[in-house]
Amino acid sequence: MDREVLRRLEKLNQLALTDAEKEAFLAFYAKQEREWEALSAIDTEAVERMVHVLPVYTVVREDTVIKKFEREDLQKGAPETMDGYWQVPRLVE
Amino acid sequence: MKYLLCENPAAEGKNVVLSDMILTKDFPTTAGSRMLEGYMSLFDAEVVDRLKAAGYAIRGKANVGELTLGVLGENSYFGACAENGVLVDASVIALRETNAAAVIGLDASGTPRRGAALGGMVALKPTYGTISRFGTISMACSGEAVSVTARSVSDVRDTVNVLVGHDDKDGTSLPAEKCALVKTGDPSVSRVAIARELTASANAEMQAKVVAARVALEKSGVEVVEIDDSLLLAAKSAWNILMSAELCNNVSRYDGVKYGYRTKNYKTIDELYTGSRTEAFGELLKYAILFGSETLSTENYMKMYDKSLRVRRLVAERLAAIFSEFDALLLPVASKCAFTEEETRENVHLSYDEALYTAPASITGMPAITLCGVQLMGAAFSENKLYSLAEILEGGTK
Repeated sequence: MDREVLRRLEKLNQLALTDAEKEAFLAFYAKQEREWEALSAIDTEAVERMVHVLPVYTVVREDTVIKKFEREDLQKGAPETMDGYWQVPRLVE
Repeated sequence: MKYLLCENPAAEGKNVVLSDMILTKDFPTTAGSRMLEGYMSLFDAEVVDRLKAAGYAIRGKANVGELTLGVLGENSYFGACAENGVLVDASVIALRETNAAAVIGLDASGTPRRGAALGGMVALKPTYGTISRFGTISMACSGEAVSVTARSVSDVRDTVNVLVGHDDKDGTSLPAEKCALVKTGDPSVSRVAIARELTASANAEMQAKVVAARVALEKSGVEVVEIDDSLLLAAKSAWNILMSAELCNNVSRYDGVKYGYRTKNYKTIDELYTGSRTEAFGELLKYAILFGSETLSTENYMKMYDKSLRVRRLVAERLAAIFSEFDALLLPVASKCAFTEEETRENVHLSYDEALYTAPASITGMPAITLCGVQLMGAAFSENKLYSLAEILEGGTK
């Protein structure tokens, strides 16, 4: 991985690493990649993916509308609110 | 050293401590992260409801590594728990310092199992889907499980039995008759396999723990056989990839808008998102997010993520073959018996290496019990067999 790919990853994940963190992450990534490459010799061509570890049982419940929480309760933990809305910087001028 | 992030002095009678990955409406839930400092949930997790219904009071919330990442909680925003520089899982200290019957945690990358076995306690990661994850903070949904740490095997069993059962609110919860197998499964044991290469990869002190466990089991009439476990080594990298990819998606919700930490330095929405996440997330969590994100990229998806899903099946099939002949697999819980704060500062991603020992159970959802430095893995719903074997070790290796 080069610094340009890392820059793209940071932007995609809304993170900004320091220079020291960038170096440390690149070393970490290189190590993970080396370990994975050592395993790529395992033949998985005919192996089916295992997304769920146990058979999935679809949980079905009544499709009914319930009001479990009040708006003010839901916004109690919000950093900033105004007039019952979550407040963020202006997106459109 | 903050082993309890909050404490309920009113908790009298039988009580438990909850890991801070479990939502509670009466106490803050932080997941060991600055992002959720002071966060109050509007509801209790299903496990909390079940504990309260069974008469347990909540004694407090135990410190955890950020989103349970780390070897033994060293990367909690609220500080590591250590004694003379040696890391100790906060759950272990909670059991030593309080009269709580158990600590309920979330096992995604093995910390509860590792912490208990290295700290003189017992921990069980039950079969995936048998204890509801509703109201736990998601980290790696396809393999994480609510775990129980306690002073003895019987305490673990008693607490697990309160928690086990189907929950409509959890889409991965197994049907009631499947969950019941955790309580009713056959407890008889006669043969145990030892994971040869995993054991050989640990240091001498840890290998001695495995030998001690073997001796105790053989003294009790259990046949113990070393087996080829080379394929299980692949679980580590595969789980590190799956866990990081799932984690990357699970923490995308933390953006400083609806709840949690918000930076003070922003003018645009992008600066708000990036500043909040950058200031609130710790170093290891940032690396895990970026690594997980890259494994899902167009270039790497097939090579890394898709491949990991296929390796997961191979590991599960190998374990199924082992458990068709043996009641359990004995392996170390870690590469060594103690980890210092200093070494986790020098190598912040040491937990990715230690996944070698905990990933086989995480990636397959199979149950594992840990004590006396070792781990016993079993087939799905074989908890009663694991209890039987653990009780032998409890009496024989201490």
